[in-house]
Amino acid sequence: MTTAISTIWSKHMTKFVKNGEEWMATLFMPILWILLFGAGMKAMMGDMPLAGTNIAYIAFITPGIVALTALSGAVNGGATLLDEKLRGILKEYLVAPIPRLSILLGNMLSNVTKSLLQAVIILLVAVLMGAALTGNPFGWLLGLVLMLVFALGFVGIASAVAMRAPNTGSYHALIFLLNLPLLFASNALYPLQIMPTWLKVVSYINPTTYIIDLTRGLWFGTPMALNGLLSVGVVLAWGFLGTYLAYFSFSRAVR
Amino acid sequence: MTRQQELAIETAGLVKRYDGDVLAVDGLDLEIASGTAYALLGPNGAGKTTTISVLTTLLEPTSGSAKVSGFDVLREADRVRERIGVTFQDIVLDPDLTGRQVLDIHGRLYRQSKRERQEKIQALTQLVELEEALDRAVKTYSGGMKRRLELARGLMTEPEILFLDEPTLGLDPQNRAAIWDYLHQLRDEAGLTVLLTTHYMEEAEELADRVGIIDHGRLVTEGSPAELIEEMGADVISVTGQGARGAFLDAVKSLDFVERIDESEDGIQIGVDNGSHRLAELVSVASQDGFAIKDISISKPSLGDVFLKYTGRQLRDH
Repeated sequence: MTTAISTIWSKHMTKFVKNGEEWMATLFMPILWILLFGAGMKAMMGDMPLAGTNIAYIAFITPGIVALTALSGAVNGGATLLDEKLRGILKEYLVAPIPRLSILLGNMLSNVTKSLLQAVIILLVAVLMGAALTGNPFGWLLGLVLMLVFALGFVGIASAVAMRAPNTGSYHALIFLLNLPLLFASNALYPLQIMPTWLKVVSYINPTTYIIDLTRGLWFGTPMALNGLLSVGVVLAWGFLGTYLAYFSFSRAVR
Repeated sequence: MTRQQELAIETAGLVKRYDGDVLAVDGLDLEIASGTAYALLGPNGAGKTTTISVLTTLLEPTSGSAKVSGFDVLREADRVRERIGVTFQDIVLDPDLTGRQVLDIHGRLYRQSKRERQEKIQALTQLVELEEALDRAVKTYSGGMKRRLELARGLMTEPEILFLDEPTLGLDPQNRAAIWDYLHQLRDEAGLTVLLTTHYMEEAEELADRVGIIDHGRLVTEGSPAELIEEMGADVISVTGQGARGAFLDAVKSLDFVERIDESEDGIQIGVDNGSHRLAELVSVASQDGFAIKDISISKPSLGDVFLKYTGRQLRDH
């Protein structure tokens, strides 16, 4: 199982590393967000008052931007899986003596790895723009790990949709909500306390809210608006659910 | 240690029905001996690809059974997968990888050691003559080169059984001859069984020890190319025309040198003992009986004529 997963994982990573355009495309948007939106808003907002402390706006929105990048990455990962399915490339794996799950996991893990690389780069840019990290590297690491579990959940959903979609058009039609809408319906750009009730309710249902609250605290030291253990629980459950859905959909689609 | 089965491939009453009631395979009984090359010859839509998909464990049969290398494709799929190599009808290569990467990844999936992979890559690239292109991205390859790479990939893991679904589809005659040549070189490989599907009759005649003619999901006849063709008579005279067809046919049937007559919507195929000697007599019989000949020709019988005999239709070259 692990040989198969690592073979498929390294195939995707090889393609990713070779393909400079993919790098540029995935990092272009988040860096744009931080530079333009972050800097612009910083001038207007100054610092964000949150539960008695102030946090620079750049630091405030960075977790959301990392999450947004992970979401876009998940959509791309699903599109790759769909492409491999439609082109028949999956057939090579399906006639090989490898467990079905490894095909899915190899693809999903390569996606999550790309998210990790992107998250680190975005954090670096944010720090350069004035976001101050806490002094606790374990916190940074924990935040990254949790962010990856969050990403895994969405990679799972995207993969599940990819295995059911008959073509690229219908895939994107089904998955389009998995991007900016999720970001706006969370505490990524504005704190929970200032939201109207209806938006607050939607945000509480959105797993993005929880990972953002967690990473704001772990990376930049803001006091968490939500219960930390609850948030961790939600993120872990989300990661598990996404993976399970992907496996279920994959098993139904192939022999 | 692999156990050498007498029968490399065995199906009994194999049926595959797709959703929406499309019956692709309708009771197929196959017995293919180890170390032989078998061609499933039939037109598009005959059920060839579906049969291969079931045998290579990509699809589950609706009913009936199938065994590859002695292992059941449903219950022992992994054992089957360890022993087979496959090339598919569509080209299923990742365009951004190099030929070498494609082969290497394949070997790694089957848990070959680095040494094994390197040796196989070298040997197979030599066989299919892709040494120069090996480190270029697959998207720069021509169609013929891609098919050759796929053949190499199918052979990477030294399978007991090689499945080739339309291996020369869409290739020009040069590339087709090259692929046939590689397959001939492989024939000497101890114990390699080959099952290929094709709608090109020359391909079946060229490569196969035995041919199964398949139409609408069933085998209509089976035998070695020589056996099947011998049934047709020494020469085939093909006639198209208008007029008193019935009278013409009755007259022809009574001629003693005529071995067989087959009719189709395209014309009449008459099997005779010697085409050039009998041609004149047939023409005079036609004019005597009020049948106006539009076109008449002599040819050696082919598997296409065999197909025509059993199904009443032409095996069209697409």
